[in-house]
Amino acid sequence: MAASAPELLPYAKIREDLFRPLSRGSSGYWMTVFAALAVVTLGMVAWGIQVRDGMGVTGLNRPVFWGFYIVDFVFWIGISHAGTLISAILRLTDAAWRKPVTRAAEAITVFCLMIGGMFPIIHLGRSWLFFWLIPYPNPRLLWPNFRSPLLWDLIAILTYVTGSVIYLYLPLIPDMAQLAEHNVPWRRKLYRILSLGWTGSDREWHALERAMKLMACIILAVAVSVHTVVSWDFSMSIAPMWHSTIFGPYFVAGAIFSGIAALLLVLGILRRALGLELYLTGHHFNNLSKLLLLMSLLWFYFTFAEYQTVWYGNEPSEMAVFASRIRGAYALFFWAMVICNFVVPFVLLGIRKLRNINTAMISSVCVLIGMWLERYLIVAPTLGNPRITAASGGYVPTWIEFAITAATFAGMIVLYLLFSKLFPIIAVWEFKPHPVEED
Amino acid sequence: MYLIADFREQPKLEAAILALKAAGIDAHDMDVFSEEPVELRRGILDRPSRMSLVAVLGAVATGGLATAGVYAAQHNYRLITGGMPVFSFWGTGVITYETTMLGSVLATFGWFLWESGLLRKRDKSVPVPTVLPGVMCLRIRCFDPHVTRVRQILDNAGATDIARKEVA
Repeated sequence: MAASAPELLPYAKIREDLFRPLSRGSSGYWMTVFAALAVVTLGMVAWGIQVRDGMGVTGLNRPVFWGFYIVDFVFWIGISHAGTLISAILRLTDAAWRKPVTRAAEAITVFCLMIGGMFPIIHLGRSWLFFWLIPYPNPRLLWPNFRSPLLWDLIAILTYVTGSVIYLYLPLIPDMAQLAEHNVPWRRKLYRILSLGWTGSDREWHALERAMKLMACIILAVAVSVHTVVSWDFSMSIAPMWHSTIFGPYFVAGAIFSGIAALLLVLGILRRALGLELYLTGHHFNNLSKLLLLMSLLWFYFTFAEYQTVWYGNEPSEMAVFASRIRGAYALFFWAMVICNFVVPFVLLGIRKLRNINTAMISSVCVLIGMWLERYLIVAPTLGNPRITAASGGYVPTWIEFAITAATFAGMIVLYLLFSKLFPIIAVWEFKPHPVEED
Repeated sequence: MYLIADFREQPKLEAAILALKAAGIDAHDMDVFSEEPVELRRGILDRPSRMSLVAVLGAVATGGLATAGVYAAQHNYRLITGGMPVFSFWGTGVITYETTMLGSVLATFGWFLWESGLLRKRDKSVPVPTVLPGVMCLRIRCFDPHVTRVRQILDNAGATDIARKEVA
């Protein structure tokens, strides 16, 4: 009973269980942090070399000017849909099982946006001139091009980051107020400042609930628009297999798909690492697995529709990209993507007997790999096969790009580990105590 | 002066608030403190809010400002376009949309801070009860002639503990 409904546990136990990970740091935890930091350092060194020597140290060259960096950018922005969007949908539909899931999801959004938002700056080459994207009065009349989807990206991501940080912060306030009562002095001070003097009055609760509902509505609209704008980076050009009206919803569906996979993976790791088996139960994994399966089917439908239309049109420049993906230089990646995004989740999550926490995590890892490959397959083959066939070329990434990509994954691990040490990963106040059990 | 009454059951708390309102205590003089949100029935201790309106106003303000800014900036180009429009709705639409949403987000957050009282300077002379898990504390501001009556109402409603706190 308690396993399926943790809110029936005594409130003191809920508090103790969920606050305990904040003060306990195992050697495994710190080893993971330092290992991840080492990879981040390697990425920083690689970026430093790129800044010193120029973009020539990467594999980017005519005609493939977008490579790993844009792939990573789209991938991380996609995963960012895990949190805020899923949390907002579950909050608005008042799904009771969302309680242990939402904060972990919202944190993913914030960190993924921070990481994803770095890639356009890394990709600039002369990263220190990034402020040229901002419209500011200057004597040379250098205004950004407001009709460029890349500028739209900047504004969309800025809005999404702002909204997501506030959406994560708001429900943290009551928990931080509780944490400010019993803790070591530096933590007490930190939580006291961040909780803004929260007292738990009904005026504060009313305002918080209203703000959360409003924010959920706003953030839903922003999240959908952000990934649509990311898709327009591609579809607003007339490059083969990019200029497609389906790209907006295709990208949004893919983003939610990879987002759910990331959320499942993070929850699975947290469950084991922080001993949250009572709170993150098979019920949560089962529900999220079903959502992942649904998105897998939707992704397959969109992919099939996209490829079918191109094949039927038989337009030469589009068919060149199509062929390179299906049976050419990128075929291995394409079929790996299909297996990871469709075959594995369909078998492991579609067959009820096979669906459990472990298979959900295996499926999630496969989907994340598959979705990264999908982004790669969107970027590289199209640029490698432009409409002028004489300008065709390939793309071989260098260790610089691999190192920076690896560093972002490690960076995500570091950020998440530090967050889980500073703030409860499950909203404690959302578990209402049962009076009888409490007595 | 303040009276702080502890309740462990929501129906008893609701009954107390209704009885106090009937006795002439204003809803503004009552506050419920708890470790988790207490959803009182409609009409018991309503807190009207203008948060939705503020969110819309914030959206309109920033959306309008951004559009005006982009319009002004685009007309600042000294370009010969051969009749092509410098300012295009389609190009600006995304910027307008995103900044509209940004305004809405910021206005909602700002109004939350204001409405909850977190942004305002707190009157430190007002006592804040220490809330135990599972307990709902009702704080009532009242004056000497009413104290006995209020205490009696709280007792009748089923308060588990009643404390009298003077303004510091």
